[in-house]
Amino acid sequence: MIEIKKLTKNFGSLIAVDHLDLFIGAGDIFGFIGPNGAGKTTTMRILVTLMEPTSGIAFIDGLDVTRKGKEVRRRVGYMPDFMGVYDDLKVFEYLEFFAAAFGIEYRKRKAIVDGVLELTDLVSKRNAQVDSLSRGMQQRLGLARVLIHDPKVLILDEPASGLDPRARIEIRELLRELKKMGKTIMISSHILSELEEICDRIGIIEHGQLVFGGTMDEIRPRLGIQGKVRVKVLGDSARATELLTALPQIHQVETVGDYLSVTFREGEQADGVIARTLVNGGVDLVYLQPEQLKLDDAFLKLTKGIVH
Amino acid sequence: MIASVKKTFLSMVRPKWLTGPIFEKELRVSSRRRRNYVLRFFYILLLTIFVGMVWLSVAEYQGDVTYQRSRMAAAGKEIVMTIVFFQFIATQVLAIVMLSTAISDEVYHRTLGLLMTTPITSLQVVMGKVLSKLLQLGLLLAITLPMLAVVRIFGGIPWGYLLSSFCVTLTAVLFAGSVSLLISINNRRAYAVIIRTGFVLLSFYLIIPLILAALMGYLVPLFGPILNVRGFFSPWRWALLAHLNPFYGIMANTERMMSPGTRGMPFIWPVHCLVMLGLSALVLTWSAKIVRRVALRQVTGQLDPSAGGLKVGRKRCRDSAPVAEGRVKRVIGPAVVWKELRAPLIQGVDHRNSYIGLAATLGMLLLTYITGYLDRSLREEFWHVSYGLLFVFIGIIVATVFSATRITTEKEAQTWSLLLATPLEDRDILLGKAVSAFRRCLPIWGLLAGHVILFVLVGYIHPIAIFHLAILVTWLTCFVTGTGLYFSARFARTTSAVLASFGVMLSLWAVGPVLAGLLDLMGGSIRGGLLTKYMLIHPAIQTQLILAGAGGAANGRAALAELQYGERSVLGFSLEEFGLSDMTFILTVTALAYVGTGILFFFGAKRRLRRNIV
Ligand SMILES: Nc1ncnc2c1ncn2[C@@H]1O[C@H](COP(=O)(O)OP(=O)(O)O)[C@@H](O)[C@H]1O
Ligand SMILES: [Mg+2]
Repeated sequence: MIEIKKLTKNFGSLIAVDHLDLFIGAGDIFGFIGPNGAGKTTTMRILVTLMEPTSGIAFIDGLDVTRKGKEVRRRVGYMPDFMGVYDDLKVFEYLEFFAAAFGIEYRKRKAIVDGVLELTDLVSKRNAQVDSLSRGMQQRLGLARVLIHDPKVLILDEPASGLDPRARIEIRELLRELKKMGKTIMISSHILSELEEICDRIGIIEHGQLVFGGTMDEIRPRLGIQGKVRVKVLGDSARATELLTALPQIHQVETVGDYLSVTFREGEQADGVIARTLVNGGVDLVYLQPEQLKLDDAFLKLTKGIVH
Repeated sequence: MIASVKKTFLSMVRPKWLTGPIFEKELRVSSRRRRNYVLRFFYILLLTIFVGMVWLSVAEYQGDVTYQRSRMAAAGKEIVMTIVFFQFIATQVLAIVMLSTAISDEVYHRTLGLLMTTPITSLQVVMGKVLSKLLQLGLLLAITLPMLAVVRIFGGIPWGYLLSSFCVTLTAVLFAGSVSLLISINNRRAYAVIIRTGFVLLSFYLIIPLILAALMGYLVPLFGPILNVRGFFSPWRWALLAHLNPFYGIMANTERMMSPGTRGMPFIWPVHCLVMLGLSALVLTWSAKIVRRVALRQVTGQLDPSAGGLKVGRKRCRDSAPVAEGRVKRVIGPAVVWKELRAPLIQGVDHRNSYIGLAATLGMLLLTYITGYLDRSLREEFWHVSYGLLFVFIGIIVATVFSATRITTEKEAQTWSLLLATPLEDRDILLGKAVSAFRRCLPIWGLLAGHVILFVLVGYIHPIAIFHLAILVTWLTCFVTGTGLYFSARFARTTSAVLASFGVMLSLWAVGPVLAGLLDLMGGSIRGGLLTKYMLIHPAIQTQLILAGAGGAANGRAALAELQYGERSVLGFSLEEFGLSDMTFILTVTALAYVGTGILFFFGAKRRLRRNIV
């Protein structure tokens, strides 16, 4: 659906995007991850025809973004990283304005606007002044605006930045919903763990170059955090430690705080085995999850160029 | 020892309580803009060329030495006077535009909140902004002083004149800038600030004195004896009133310089400067008082500050009210046009204030008509020319400001990329913006039309003037809107766009005539021709020609063939007489040229639309 070939953008002597190659399949959620200044926003702006690349080409839905600007804009919903709101409009007017800008007929607009308001859970704010909304609400309004012309492709630049955890979760739920509707979504962030759960594939960019591209499962070994899980059990953890240490796949079990940190042997992935063993052994399992914090640590290392 | 003296001296020159870090920051930022140096360089270059050309034209003459000397003295005075007047106007415009975004810049860059959490006082914020701009403008004035000093060689120009006009200009700039800043605190939109500041200054300098003069003329004889107000308007008090007005000041000053010895208008410039400083101090103190309150409100998202609790309250109950139909306005027609037309025609902080302002303006205007009626000057073409000039002048300014801010305000509010990411054609976006800029000027053009149509009906203006003025307004609108939109698309910042547009108008209609006049002075073969031709396509001259030719009781009822244009002159510029067909021809040619240029600029804007998106 989105295809980028040798895309380059220079600002004077600064190379913001450097021969970037990317492919995003239809219906995928693609996480575009990199530290600040890596070139994410620049790439996205080129994709949504707001900037011309210095060299290279990009296609959306088979259309060259530099040649078929208008066609591309029809198919893409873009949410910029910093977004202004027109300060003298109400929520409904704001959305209808963009509906009109996208060429939707007058008769259909009301239903469409009410539809996206429903989807983004903003119905109660329908008549509110746009600039009176909280940041989380404005971000949801931004998503509503992006959906107004029912685009096939969504390009969202750091939609979760500056939001509280609850608002983040709401956005995440919304994205899942959109994926079910068959949209292709490209979403950027500078925090890997934020996208981990919802993305089918991720690309890590630094200094305008793609450092890594692939699925989450593919990246874990590269990050050196493969095979580490947290296990929390109810009651006696000594029994659990005993059971787990006996397993052939497991290298080490440590007690950290109120949970167990379990390390697998090289090349093993045994979450299922752990759960089964514990339950069969009569231990009540509370949760079993991959090491979260480690993910971000490893990401830091990766983007510093230590891991290759 | 020396260090401590230096420190004391510095702290006296730049007291920290007044300026503080904001001042330093503003200066640092502006010193990094290469454009500022380039502009200053060109300014000096232009002045040098101007002076050099006059010099050459005068020095060429060979003959009687005393005659030569007197010619040089006259030329020197002309040069100095032109430069002084030009700077007087230009620096005030610059100050107003530069300070119109002083506060909103910080809002848009999300730095105002940060400022408010530091120990910087409100006074420092205000003074830092004003003084840094004042310093830049003072610098601009100062670099022309050596030039003016050279011109002194021509003779006849006292140092005192240079000094006094420098001070009068600087205090006028300070006052204009202070008013602009005060108004900018309550307005995030630069165009509203510029227009309002212009309006406030115009009433302060022009309309109020005019009304007072009118009152003196009519009310004092009527009511004076009863109310005993005659004493109030004693020449003394009148002179004091005149000291409130820098325009009066600079004119009185110049008159005395041009013809020394005569008593002329009473004017003591240090008094005037002190008065202006005092007024500015008042305005700035007021600004400092409200800036923090308003800033905090803006930062926390409760906009529309001056509407106060009322609006916030209304908003709240609107939020909690159940969803109801009919409360929102539906989008009808092309999106951008709808959005632009949605804003109220007469914009105000809230409706009540803007209607009061509107009523006051109309009332004052009506008062001038009444005085005109009472002394029968409505029958004179002079009267109609003055109104025509007033409306056209304000119309040009308003049109320039609105069209030059149409796109940059969206860029500053970060909504521009949203609009560009829609499939709207660039042409449609621009047309929407153009329509909206024109609509904002409608009140002014409406007043002009109202005046002309009213007096056509009364019989004091010939109906053909409606047709001629329509041509004039059409080309003005096309040209000014095209230029404004071009610069608005080209620049990222409102102030740059507005200043660039004003620059174009100023060069075409103020610097151009001066240059044409100089070329006339120099050239032998085309002597006298160039300026005349140039002035014929000048909007003010055209207004004057149209209304002097077709205005007045005598012309109002004349037959078409009897109308004569150009024999009377209000702007001190005379022509040979010509008839109706020539007038129409001149207007049509001008219109074609300017409309063409306007369209070129429009396409330039279209080409530039997607660059510099920020
Ligand atoms: N309009 C611009 N002019 C000059 N440099 C820019 C511009 N936009 C971005 N850059 C530079 O390009 C680099 C990449 O920026 P960006 O794409 O915004 O990064 P990201 O979104 O990943 O944080 C940064 O170093 C930034 O300073
Ligand atoms: Mg970014």
